[in-house]
Amino acid sequence: MSNDILLSTHGLHKSYGKRDSKFEALRGINLEIRRGESVAIVGKSGSGKSTLMHLLALLDRPTKGEIRLGDKQTSKLKQRQLNHLRNKEFGFVFQSFFMNANDSVLNNVILPLKIAGVGRRERKQRAIHALKIVGLETKAKNKANDLSGGQKQRVCIARAIVNQPKVIFADEPTGNLDSGTGEKIEELLFNLNKEQGITLIIVTHDQELANKCSRQIHISDGHIVSDDTITADIESADAETEEEVGPTEEEVAEEIRESIIEERDEIDTNGDGFIDEEDQPHVTRIKSKGSK
Amino acid sequence: MKVLDIIRDANANLLRNKMRSFLTILAIFIGSFVIILSTGISAGVNDFVDKQMSAVGGEGYVEIMNTAASEQVTQMFNQDAQEYTEPGENENTDIYISDKQIEDARKIDGVKSIDAFKNASAEYIKMKGENKRFKLNLNLVPRGNLNMDLSAGRKADPDAEDYEIIVQQNLAESLGYDNPEDIVGKTAEIAVPSTVACFTAAKRSDCLTTIEAKIVGVQAPGILAMAGSRANLALWNKINEINNENMPEENNRAIQATADVDPAKAEDIKKAMADLGLTAMTIEDEVGQIKTFFDAMLAVLSIFGGIALLAAAIGIINTLLMSVQERTREIGLDKALGMSNGRVFLNFALEAIMLGFWGSVFGIAISVLIGQAINSVTHDSILKDLPSFQLTIFRPEDLLGVTVLIMLIALIAGVLPARKASKKDPIDALRYE
Ligand SMILES: Nc1ncnc2c1ncn2[C@@H]1O[C@H](COP(=O)(O)OP(=O)(O)OP(=O)(O)O)[C@@H](O)[C@H]1O
Ligand SMILES: [Mg+2]
Repeated sequence: MSNDILLSTHGLHKSYGKRDSKFEALRGINLEIRRGESVAIVGKSGSGKSTLMHLLALLDRPTKGEIRLGDKQTSKLKQRQLNHLRNKEFGFVFQSFFMNANDSVLNNVILPLKIAGVGRRERKQRAIHALKIVGLETKAKNKANDLSGGQKQRVCIARAIVNQPKVIFADEPTGNLDSGTGEKIEELLFNLNKEQGITLIIVTHDQELANKCSRQIHISDGHIVSDDTITADIESADAETEEEVGPTEEEVAEEIRESIIEERDEIDTNGDGFIDEEDQPHVTRIKSKGSK
Repeated sequence: MKVLDIIRDANANLLRNKMRSFLTILAIFIGSFVIILSTGISAGVNDFVDKQMSAVGGEGYVEIMNTAASEQVTQMFNQDAQEYTEPGENENTDIYISDKQIEDARKIDGVKSIDAFKNASAEYIKMKGENKRFKLNLNLVPRGNLNMDLSAGRKADPDAEDYEIIVQQNLAESLGYDNPEDIVGKTAEIAVPSTVACFTAAKRSDCLTTIEAKIVGVQAPGILAMAGSRANLALWNKINEINNENMPEENNRAIQATADVDPAKAEDIKKAMADLGLTAMTIEDEVGQIKTFFDAMLAVLSIFGGIALLAAAIGIINTLLMSVQERTREIGLDKALGMSNGRVFLNFALEAIMLGFWGSVFGIAISVLIGQAINSVTHDSILKDLPSFQLTIFRPEDLLGVTVLIMLIALIAGVLPARKASKKDPIDALRYE
């Protein structure tokens, strides 16, 4: 029934420190993420976005509560399985680009493959392919540190996709970039989502970026304050019991479309003139997906 | 990640901080250099001793001194005051070997023959009909199956009635025979002083008697050559006789003996002789003294090398701990991308091993170079007379052993930092600035 649910959390808590300095970064997070979704986790600085992403990516363990991967309890996974997941199933783009600054661009992209034990020739080919996707194949030999901020972030994306992951976790992927470069990065990520069905989980406080995602989860002080597909979830779950998976997807897409339009209206009331132009192509893209 | 990748990465990481790695390797290098050089010298000495032993053979050949005499030698190094005690009835007080001791020793089970010999000293040697004279350092041709390591001719017959002599190769060359074969069979003239006559003689030459001896062999350079040229018993006794002309008989007594014994019983015979007040030494015992001296010296050297390595090991720990600290983010990234703790550990452990490896490789390279230099310098100077003696010999198995040992020490030193690295939490590491 729930075989399209990729990740789900149940009463997730995360606290840091002990006693007096104890701080609860997450206070009871319940959510479900489906395969192929693009999810934005939005919130103010310090609201717990990165913490939540790290938990979802199984980089960290919750203090309380549970994360399920499909229907598996992740707390029961062995370290070896966790390593395998991080290496093969997940791709990461971290908040401040995380690279080995003194190494070459190519070697940075190769890193996950090297960890996976892929042979020298093959991993080089695959890394160059990933660099082509982000348009940086000419920079392969350069030192990572010598690239511009936007290029660095693209290298990080190349590294995230080089292992052909099923999920990409991106923490503020456009945070440090000007809007032009940011858009390029966004386009890259959404293309991966559309074309390869890679699930996207993007942490951002950029509402514009969040709007382009099929779903937005707003968090504040460790709580989810709104999750715009919660209703869709319930409906689609009902639909599933009646029919097969095919129509469910369409329904989900419709829900998403509606919610996006709602979002757009909200922003329109804010009176931001640019949004209309920017949202137009986005809506058509969703339509094209829905008609598949 | 394959082993080759890990090794390549370890080297690349060491190169990232060249100065620091270099200094750590330098410390290991010093330790390994000292250890490798001292094993080299030890191998050289042992090889030399073994070669000499097999050249000399000498199984069953023993040299005998009065225990009191051999104690006098050791007493020379003892500066402590010693209380006097009355000697016991059987205790020997003088350095001479008595006839009774020889007779008793001859009866010991396993003793095939025993010769006591008195002192004999010659003045010079020259070829018959030539003028060039050379000082003559003389010894007795031993009995038994002692192989004299001759470069030409034969061993002098201890029992022959004719006077026979074996000369050192150096001496043969000085006497004008560059090819040792040519001097064999020639007659030499040996001048012998008469001690009493020389007290009163106006000229030294007035108290010298010349006797003729046949050169039957040439002694190759080696430890045996250090004992000088060798006379057979007949020649030796003749020289002794001339030395002691007009001398009171009791002053002319044996101070040394040689025996040919059954090698299997050598240890028992030595004990039995000790009961008679005689100290017997086999060739092995004598060579063993050289060995013991070198071994002790090299042990001290190795201890210094070991201490240097210990300090170097602490250097490795220090270097790697710094490296772990600096690379916290990198480690975090590796782990976030799915690298296992074991592999993180292995990466750092291998860096430690590579430090050890490079240290010992440089140690080997420099030791071998310096060893060759030492060999060629000593070959032309202090070891001129021992051409078969290479002071340093580097055996591949020794070099490999030392390298493995040092890599092992480095690995042990790397455990602490490597554990620290492998324990790092990816999230903490990623948050680390
Ligand atoms: N290791 C830690 N120890 C103590 N407190 C921590 C730790 N990690 C995070 N926190 C706290 O948890 C809260 C949530 O942090 P988090 O990094 O998830 O915020 P965020 O929403 O990603 O913020 P930003 O948008 O600035 O990145 C913050 O108040 C932070 O101070
Ligand atoms: Mg954050």
